[in-house]
Amino acid sequence: MKITKDYRFIGKATPRKDAAEIVTGKATYIEDVELPRMLHGKVLRSPYPHGLIKKIDTSRAENSRGVRAVLTYKNVPEWKTGTPRHVRVLDKKVKFVGDAVALVAAETEEMAMDALAHIEVEYEQLPAVYDVEQAIKSDAPQLYDEFPGNLMPLDVPVFGPRTLSSIVLGDVEKGFGASDFIAEGTGSYENIANPLPLEPPGVIAEWSGPNSLTVWSATQSASWHRFIMLSKMGFPDIRTISTQCGGSFGSKNYSAQPMFYAAALAKSTDRPVKVCFSKEEHFGAFVLRLGSRFRGKVGIKKDGTVMAVQGEWLVDTGAFSDMAQAQIAVGLGELQLMLKCANWDINTKLVCTNRNASGVVRGFGGQELESALIPILMQTLEQGNIDPVEFFKKNYVKPGQGYYWRDGNHWVSKSKDYTEAFERGAQTFGWAEKWKGWLKPSAVNNSKRVGVGVGVHGNADVGEDVSEAYVRLNPDATVTIHACVAESGMGQRSSLCKMVAETLKLPLERVNITPPDSLINPFDFGLVGSRGTYAVGSAVISAAEDAKEKLFKMAEDVLEAAPDDLDSEDGMVFVKGSPDKGVPWRSVIGLMHTCTGFGRFEPDYSVPNFIAMFVEVEVDVETGKLDLLRVVTATDVGQIIDPPSLAGQLHGSIGSAGIDTAIFEESVLDGNSGHMLNLNMMDYKWRSFAELPRFDNTILETPIQTHRYKAIGVGEVSTSPGPSAVFMAASNAVGKRLEGYPLTPDKILEALGKINL
Amino acid sequence: MKAFKHITANSVEEAIALIRTHNGKACLIAGGTDLLGVLKDEILPDYPAAVINIKTIPELDHIKKNNDGLKIGPLTKLADVVAHPLIKKRFSCLSQAAAAVATPEIRNMATLGGNLCQDTRCWYYRYPQHVGGRIMCHRKGKGPCQAVKGDNRYHAIMGAKVCFAVCPSDTAIALSALDAELEITGSQGVRNVSLNEFFTTLGNILKPDELLTNIQIPYPPKGAKQAFLKFTLRKPVDFAIASVASVITMQDGICKAARIVLGAVAPTPVRATDAEASIIGKAADGVVIEEAAEAAMAGAKPMRMNAYKVEITKTLIKRALLSIFQ
Repeated sequence: MKITKDYRFIGKATPRKDAAEIVTGKATYIEDVELPRMLHGKVLRSPYPHGLIKKIDTSRAENSRGVRAVLTYKNVPEWKTGTPRHVRVLDKKVKFVGDAVALVAAETEEMAMDALAHIEVEYEQLPAVYDVEQAIKSDAPQLYDEFPGNLMPLDVPVFGPRTLSSIVLGDVEKGFGASDFIAEGTGSYENIANPLPLEPPGVIAEWSGPNSLTVWSATQSASWHRFIMLSKMGFPDIRTISTQCGGSFGSKNYSAQPMFYAAALAKSTDRPVKVCFSKEEHFGAFVLRLGSRFRGKVGIKKDGTVMAVQGEWLVDTGAFSDMAQAQIAVGLGELQLMLKCANWDINTKLVCTNRNASGVVRGFGGQELESALIPILMQTLEQGNIDPVEFFKKNYVKPGQGYYWRDGNHWVSKSKDYTEAFERGAQTFGWAEKWKGWLKPSAVNNSKRVGVGVGVHGNADVGEDVSEAYVRLNPDATVTIHACVAESGMGQRSSLCKMVAETLKLPLERVNITPPDSLINPFDFGLVGSRGTYAVGSAVISAAEDAKEKLFKMAEDVLEAAPDDLDSEDGMVFVKGSPDKGVPWRSVIGLMHTCTGFGRFEPDYSVPNFIAMFVEVEVDVETGKLDLLRVVTATDVGQIIDPPSLAGQLHGSIGSAGIDTAIFEESVLDGNSGHMLNLNMMDYKWRSFAELPRFDNTILETPIQTHRYKAIGVGEVSTSPGPSAVFMAASNAVGKRLEGYPLTPDKILEALGKINL
Repeated sequence: MKAFKHITANSVEEAIALIRTHNGKACLIAGGTDLLGVLKDEILPDYPAAVINIKTIPELDHIKKNNDGLKIGPLTKLADVVAHPLIKKRFSCLSQAAAAVATPEIRNMATLGGNLCQDTRCWYYRYPQHVGGRIMCHRKGKGPCQAVKGDNRYHAIMGAKVCFAVCPSDTAIALSALDAELEITGSQGVRNVSLNEFFTTLGNILKPDELLTNIQIPYPPKGAKQAFLKFTLRKPVDFAIASVASVITMQDGICKAARIVLGAVAPTPVRATDAEASIIGKAADGVVIEEAAEAAMAGAKPMRMNAYKVEITKTLIKRALLSIFQ
């Protein structure tokens, strides 16, 4: 059902405000920012996966040409980041190959690099551990004294005192007793893939006083370097500014390590310091996806009712936790959206290991948990010969159904029934014709086997956290939105301008948004969890409506009419029905005045979004090669704000540690030495434009009660159903149960019995 | 990237003289698509003081017909090798191999000589200096081959003893199948070697003051059919997990002559002589093809993680022969 709409901008493709700047090279990225007197910081990194620094001599480096500061664990500020706070700027103990050992600030990057070679370090090597289950054994090497057994605390109040870390509900034994089909096993999604934005992380820090810090950064969410880092750094006044951000996919929501390095070096030199990671550091010392292993049991009835889910979720966060607990909370919530079930018993262990740490990545817990659990779930569907489309359709959360969200509170969905979207997607894909049953290919052409799979995913974080905005009407009939929103590729800054232009009936070019700078903007949590459309959108729309109300109040006397009877279009205010007798804004506002409205969005976890993904793959059974032929997504967004931006978000599901983590994306860790072996764009396999699959989006627009434009965001979720859908499709293509991600030729040939690993 | 002197040479003699003046602390740069990565990551303990530009030596960039076949200058861009009509027609496996390298952008810069002389892609060997320090190994003159105990999914499945890194060159495989000869010029004069003699376990036979100056390819026998197949995880921009080039001469349905060369399976290109022998004198059929693939891989000794490469190589051999026989 579609209501008649007559929007000027909403739902129509409009040029992105920053498009020309990006394609002409004028957009300012962190590498382009040069401050007066700015120094360059570089990092000396550990050759060992685990060790103690016994001796460190920096004297030669300090005397090296152009060097202004050398820092080690002995003289860095006592700041701590991580969840809970446990990661120092530099530590006496190194915990992964590539861990930071010393920092140098010098007049040029080259001078800083040269100086690194003159730092002499003696290590005591310690045994290292890389596997979650090895790490929790009693005799395993210990990464932290404060986390015995390498178990990180889960009772961290990232989302309040009841933050979700397990799901224990009903009676699983009873549930299994009433199940017709039960499967048990271990599923593993441990690619620890890198979402790999083009631009590596970078930060510039400058202290303008002992307690006053400004940071510029390539950041997805401008406010994180302020509100998250305040407590980690002893509450200095932090002003954060985002440059144009060359992609993030969650990983550059903030950059705690580069920020610490730049801020520490800036403090000791009293000069601005830039720390930009190289691509190799981006691979080897910046954030990865969480490792996820699920060992457990699923029981269902013949009709696809899920009776019980039980198991242990082992989450590998690498050398430290950077919001792993938050991802566990959201992941457990998202699993309940995907699977309606009365009996749950899922416990979680968060484990640290001697590899580069995991951090925030699109998919945020749910993708990791579901990708590990679905291979087990698939076996129950196989036993019952149940069509996975029917199964997921039945079990995805419906309006009126409840779930425990990340805050540990019970929420009831006020969202919509996504059944129609799911069915339309299945139709577009041709699921009914292609689905031949479990472990059956949908087509065979010589050595090539075609198979299909499906996955679903949703997130109730579309209304997470707080957004505030000012909308300022200027007398020249332009509008300035004050919102702390960065641009990391999604086009959301332009979309917010569209919402305001539509609300105020102004040409789009008259509406602009302030730079993402915490000094000049009110609070915004950032562009995470698909919250831009609903949460940030609500704040700017409310601010625009508030400003308009004030404008009409000001116009009351000028036009001798009640505010309710007034309207405004193209910068004129007039009595409704008489647009030709209007007065310009400047006559109402006055040349030396402005008219500012305020809007605030408060969290709402009751409107889960939804995406289904249908995939068709081809496997060559003689080489084990898996190719992605076709992807169809299905979703209902209420109202499209900007069609190309939405399509871009959905197409982005292929890369950014999404679909291709089932095909070839992975970080390869040497299990002997702890080296990450594929620290470059050649050995880290990512898909190039030359082999894109056929890709169709099925997007419904059933109005949803969010804000004025009845829209809901889906950007973040699109990667998440991909890996398990490909896993399912590949299993069906080759007619065998498969194991692990990514499904590289060795794994497929082994499953086919052609080689023994 | 660390600084180095960039010196342009205008002739082969000048290039050799420049190498000698720098006492081995210099290296040559042509397309640079491999070398710049090596230097940027500082994978080797020795960093050159000077990089000698040879792109400016005009006599090394040509494709010429002569009585014996084709003479290709080592500075010929891969894109030119791909597009050349005679190469397409008479040396099709070389044209295909060159086309299988990297991307159009890289093929516009990378040269045929550079493709032959490029360093291995072994990820231990290539580990960058600035994420904890380069990894030393047998190939770098210190320590054992790290792939033996490590992650050897892309390493050798045959013919390796001290270093299990594989030869990454696609064009080498085709040139070996075409029985090419290489001309090497150094301060001691000019020498000619067959393509297979050029490659060694740890790279190639070039001495520090030598460079590749010509690639001579004889015309394949009349009626010879060719194939080149390369298996990669990613279609473009990827190095071979396995590749095969073959040049086969058939007469009245019987195989008269055969060259089958395997790539990315060993430190050097490997001529599958047993496979060649197994098909010569026989009519082409499924059984013969199957036997040839088995014969080629009979000596394979896969490592812990790369048995799959044996299967893939067999498949490539079969497909290559099938495409020729059909």
